[in-house]
Amino acid sequence: MILPALAPALSVAVPLAAAFLAVVAPRPRLLVGVTVPAMLAVMALAVLGVRQGGPLVLAVGGWEPPLGIALVADGLSTAFLVATALTIGTVLVVALPQFPIRQNETRAGWAFWPLAFLLWAALNAVFLSGDLFNIYVAIEFVTLATLALVALEGKAKQVEAAMRYAMFALFGSLAYLLGVALLYAAHGTLDIGLLAQLPAQDTASLVAAGLITAGLAAKTALFPFHAWLPPAHAGAPAPASAMLSALVPKASFYVLLRFWFDAMPEAAGAIALQLLGALGATAIVYGSILAVRQNRLKQLVAYSTVAQIGYLFLVFPLAGGSAEPQPWTAGAWTGSVFHAVSHAFAKAAMFLAVGHAVLAAGHDRMSAMDGLTRRMPMTAFALGVSAVTLMGLPPSGGFTAKFLLLTAAFASGQVLWAAIIVLGGVLAAAYLFRPLARAFLPDRGRYGTVPRAQQALPLALAMLSVVLGIVSAAPYDFLQTGRPAAAEEGLE
Amino acid sequence: MNQALPLIILATALVPSLITFFLAEDRVWVRNALNLGGAVLKLALVVFMLAEVGRGQVYQTEFELVPGLSLVLRIDALSLLFVTLSTVLWLLTTVYAIAYLHGGKNLPRFFGFFSLCVFATTGIAFSGSLITFFLFYELLTLATWPLVVHKGDAASIRAGRTYLGYTLTGSAILLVGIVWLESLTGPVAFAAPPQLAGLDAWSLRAIFLLLIAGLGVKAALVGLHVWLPQAMVAPAPVSALLHAVAVVKAGAFGIVRVVYDIYGIALVQEIDMGLPLAAIASATILFGSIRALTQHGLKPLLAYSTVSQVSYIVLGAALFSQTAVVGGLVHLVHQGLMKITLFFCAGVFDERAGVHDIDEIDGIGARLPWTSVAFTLGALGMIGLPPIAGFASKWYLGTGGLEAGQPWVVAVLAVSTLLNGAYFLPVLYRIWFREPGPNAAAAETEGPAMLLAPPIATAALALAAGLFAAAALSPLGWATLIVERQYAP
Amino acid sequence: MIVSGPLLPFAALALPLLLGLLAAVPAMRPRVLMLLPIAPLPALALALSGPTGEHTELPVLLLGVRLGLDATGAMFLGASALLWALAGVFATAYMRRTHKREVFVAFWCLTLTGNLGVFLARDAVTFYVSFTAVSLPAYLLIVHDATREALRAGRIYMILALVGETSLLVGLIIACAHADSLVISQVRDALADAPGREAALALMLIGLGIKAGLVPLHVWLPLAHPQAPTPASAVLSGAIVKAGIFGMLVLLPAGAGMANWSLALVAAGLGGAYFGIVAGLGQNGAKAALAYSTVSQMGLMIAAAGAAPLADAPAEFAAVIALYAVHHGLAKGALFMSVGVAGQVNGRARHALLAAVALLALSVAGLPLTGGAVAKTALKSGLEGPAATLVAASAAGTALLLLHVWVLLRRSSAHGSRPGRLLWAPFLAAGATALVLPWLLAPAVGVKASYVLSAANLWSATWPLLAAAAIAAAVIGLRIGVPRIPAGDLVVVAERMVPPAVSRRPAPSHPGPRRGMRRLDPIDRLERGLRRWSTAGPVLLGTAVVLAALFLA
Repeated sequence: MILPALAPALSVAVPLAAAFLAVVAPRPRLLVGVTVPAMLAVMALAVLGVRQGGPLVLAVGGWEPPLGIALVADGLSTAFLVATALTIGTVLVVALPQFPIRQNETRAGWAFWPLAFLLWAALNAVFLSGDLFNIYVAIEFVTLATLALVALEGKAKQVEAAMRYAMFALFGSLAYLLGVALLYAAHGTLDIGLLAQLPAQDTASLVAAGLITAGLAAKTALFPFHAWLPPAHAGAPAPASAMLSALVPKASFYVLLRFWFDAMPEAAGAIALQLLGALGATAIVYGSILAVRQNRLKQLVAYSTVAQIGYLFLVFPLAGGSAEPQPWTAGAWTGSVFHAVSHAFAKAAMFLAVGHAVLAAGHDRMSAMDGLTRRMPMTAFALGVSAVTLMGLPPSGGFTAKFLLLTAAFASGQVLWAAIIVLGGVLAAAYLFRPLARAFLPDRGRYGTVPRAQQALPLALAMLSVVLGIVSAAPYDFLQTGRPAAAEEGLE
Repeated sequence: MNQALPLIILATALVPSLITFFLAEDRVWVRNALNLGGAVLKLALVVFMLAEVGRGQVYQTEFELVPGLSLVLRIDALSLLFVTLSTVLWLLTTVYAIAYLHGGKNLPRFFGFFSLCVFATTGIAFSGSLITFFLFYELLTLATWPLVVHKGDAASIRAGRTYLGYTLTGSAILLVGIVWLESLTGPVAFAAPPQLAGLDAWSLRAIFLLLIAGLGVKAALVGLHVWLPQAMVAPAPVSALLHAVAVVKAGAFGIVRVVYDIYGIALVQEIDMGLPLAAIASATILFGSIRALTQHGLKPLLAYSTVSQVSYIVLGAALFSQTAVVGGLVHLVHQGLMKITLFFCAGVFDERAGVHDIDEIDGIGARLPWTSVAFTLGALGMIGLPPIAGFASKWYLGTGGLEAGQPWVVAVLAVSTLLNGAYFLPVLYRIWFREPGPNAAAAETEGPAMLLAPPIATAALALAAGLFAAAALSPLGWATLIVERQYAP
Repeated sequence: MIVSGPLLPFAALALPLLLGLLAAVPAMRPRVLMLLPIAPLPALALALSGPTGEHTELPVLLLGVRLGLDATGAMFLGASALLWALAGVFATAYMRRTHKREVFVAFWCLTLTGNLGVFLARDAVTFYVSFTAVSLPAYLLIVHDATREALRAGRIYMILALVGETSLLVGLIIACAHADSLVISQVRDALADAPGREAALALMLIGLGIKAGLVPLHVWLPLAHPQAPTPASAVLSGAIVKAGIFGMLVLLPAGAGMANWSLALVAAGLGGAYFGIVAGLGQNGAKAALAYSTVSQMGLMIAAAGAAPLADAPAEFAAVIALYAVHHGLAKGALFMSVGVAGQVNGRARHALLAAVALLALSVAGLPLTGGAVAKTALKSGLEGPAATLVAASAAGTALLLLHVWVLLRRSSAHGSRPGRLLWAPFLAAGATALVLPWLLAPAVGVKASYVLSAANLWSATWPLLAAAAIAAAVIGLRIGVPRIPAGDLVVVAERMVPPAVSRRPAPSHPGPRRGMRRLDPIDRLERGLRRWSTAGPVLLGTAVVLAALFLA
């Protein structure tokens, strides 16, 4: 079968082509109508291919690493690809009426489409790259597209937020690049598969690891480098926010996961792992507390992202340590991926739904939620369902993730992290309560509305995060394809 | 068939729920037909299953979500006790709710979540493993919240906040307990309790405390009960659901499962947890009754009464005696029947005469005689007067307490009886013997049959459950069967 | 099979219950009082047919109902059923004009079922259920007139009844748990050496004693009996209180181990007998004085029941007590009915009534040749020493108290217009039966007529009456005033002492809005700081260095 083998290449090429076309021939309805189904088909191919034949490796130009560069699609990257395709696909359909091109030609309306497709392509490139430098390039594209999307409407606040993001991202990139350079100097290769086979315990490698980790953490908005995220995500138009909050931090986290578990499983010291975990735990608590204190809907959702990202970093201490030989200790790794994916669905759904509520109300104060269950029941429902995932309540992918992480925490005797995980769920309930409760209040004043078909899309996305919790056996198995040994045995 | 039946029964609640959400507000007939149809179908299936399980059949379905997290549905006699209760009461509550909320707003949402609650309750009953139990337990929390805040006023939202605050914290604690336990033993199924005897006693105690504290929030153990009286702002059918059918019962049911199907009562005794649990249950019984004395709202009074009565179930489970656990289990049903009657009636009093406070109820018996009769039966049953159901529970609990060598239990029951009398009898006195007050004078005539029939039916069931307690298919007979079949040494 | 064994005991309970339900049918309303005399008839037939050899069992009802009848039970059952039937006839006339007749009838029937059930029950649960059924529905009979006083009496009755219920329940549970059986005879035998026996006995005696008017648990009785409509007073004083005595007879275990309890009960009973007399003499109303007479008479029976466990043949002695109860029940029922009749009649009929009342009163005081003499002689035969003397001497007090009643009755005025015949007939029937029936039953309980008529017994029955006559003459001659005692004696004191304790404090049903979360200013400052690049840059750099250092470490 040649087709599945082409899937990795297609999943970068198709959105890239769409991005170009969006500049040349700005007809978003047609572009979305073709690209989204096409990408879903490509995803189906990729999943099929990985399920049947294991990881797909495509050596670009026929050159094997270390000479050439490779696109690698294993269970992990395919999972992220699929999540990205489903999320962006939905976002784009929702965005169609919000960024019309023909009627009144605005910069936002014109620029959104190419940027969105570019982001998609860049994200896919990150997920497929098997090489640290390629990853750097792809991540820079992600950053670029993100920057532009944040500043899309050109308001002063947005530009300020974009600038702040640019500073953080730039520093992150620099640190990462420095690390990559050090590694290359030491080992002469940046291919992840090859790095994994090297004994990477020398000083240069370890300093490189520190730099790469710090750089990626800044890009992932891990506490205390999160401060760029809320203004940027809350300032952007809702569909853009949905992509930014749901996927962009996941890209850099994905790289971290790859780096630690695939490239340098031997490098980690126990204390460093605990530090990363501690930062994650702080993010959970800190982000939640700030989320509780927000009075703007989009700010609240953005701070929720800060908190949720914290969970991802618990994978480092949990997958490390001396795990008891239980059948499911590998859960921490899978759990964090589950969390990343279900959070992607839920957060995108939540931003889109909030966007609808904001559109209908004309502002994003809390009162935009008043009477939502009556005015726009599907939107309210979408918010509720995505909240379930964010709180990590069953049945949802968020719960499955939390369960796996908790089990790993207990199995490895790290009860403190277990307590944080549980506390985070309660805190999530605390910050999500206010908007949800207001949805039940009677509404005062005049509100617009959003067509039902539009309302249905966020709901569908939110339901996906729930379905992930109900039908989690298949995704779980799928993730194990090409799973690094370190995910099972724990980091040293 | 054995594989599919639990799923079919779950679907009878889930499918109407999901469809109802998407129905337009004005499609009343479709909505009612769906919900009632689901309830009737479920009742029919449950009756069929009662016969099968009575013969010794066990239904089991299992599928894995992720390694270590399997969805196990298993129907044994204990499941069926709870399911039968919730199914019968679901049907009646649906009838009642249709009449009570007639013409109200947001009804698709209401009935959607209502059926979802029942789905979750059924799931709780059918759970064959601890984690499955947790899944449905959480779903119940979520599905109930929109019902609590249904009215959408400030008080409801506040109550909803308290409710979520307590229950979500409770489930978080429960989850910690579950995962801790499973990290020691592997997945915990009720049918094959884990081998705990060899484990460290302090871990076992800590896990036990976590599990009980988590479940105790819903079971409204003293200190964790705060949400329950506040949740009274919800419409009457919701209160009925919270107090009799689903929520508090889920907590109590869970405690029974933990004590009997996970730890085993002998181990609970061995790690010295039985007595503290019994003591907390007793404290709750007394606390609830004393608080009920000082209430002046009718629904808060009933709420504190629930706090008190649900702990009978916990008390039964905590005592080292088969007779006591029969008493506790049977009270699951008995309390449900009696308390739902009271809430139905309180709803009718409110709906027909605007009665909220006890001093507004004067002379209502003359205007709403049937409702008042049902209320009276419910209240007398709560006090434990024979032959209404409550006395049978009390008899078994008291005897069980003595068997377990804890004679003070009998004193707790006696004091509780007196306190129950002290807060219920003045209400009955006002209903029947006071001159009609302004509310009674302005009261409408007794409402539509759909509003009247459910309380009368549940009152009659409560009476029948006590009168025919010794029959094989009575709640008591079934509880005895459960204990003989599952918990006999 | 739902029922096994003889059907009649089941029917004796089922019929009144069914008739009670029938009373709720609107179509029955005009003729609802006609149900009253019919309801106890199967029970009467059962009592007349004598003790049943085998038990009636209804295994699906309650926790398995078991009914049976022995000789003692048959006497209690027969006399009660008869009194209920006669009072029912009385009520058909007496209650004709009152409101809510259907409610009265329904609860009359329910109370009746409970009363009969107590005598028929052979298992503890049925006994307890019946005991409740005779206690609580009686509330509705007491408060039927819905006057202030009636409602107060009802409230006090309810409190005590509930306390009694609960005590009895707990006592029974303790006993049954030890016996591991619900069958009353086994429960009683097990109680003899049960752990917690003292507690069980104390609790049971509280429960039974409240019903039987054991001083000081009697306080409801002088309030409730007078406040109830007259036919209800008749059954309350004549039949319902007997449930307590019967309970003591079937539940107290025999044997030497009971010596202390026996002594306590005898003392309490005799104390109550005299207390009732004294308090009754202080009453203004005929029915209140009669109620205190009931307290006094019940005291005698309680004393006897207390002595029974130590008797040589407890079962035979129980039958003797039953004989006394038969006489007292019918006589007291008739006396209460006489108060109702007195309210209706004038002239010669009134004289005839007063004469009949005098005869009945003397019978209760044990005038030789009356049924009362038989009962009292039989009772004394089972007692020894000072107890026997005290019982004999109490007759003087009884005579004085009933004289007081008679005087009050004579003073009362007639105002009613109720049909006389239906009031007269049950009064006369009950009175006549009270005078005659003990003679007929005496051989069955082993008391020979010759024994009753022996010189010693005649004298011991006569001298108290003479003493009473002397005292009465002195009091009237010297115009000694008797201090008034409020009906309910101790409870009046208690009511004054206890502030309205169970008043509901107006507590807000919802707590006020909680204060919003306090401003967490430090967090805000921190967040602002982190947002500044000048802070974030060094932090990031620092983290990278720290991480690298940690890896190197």
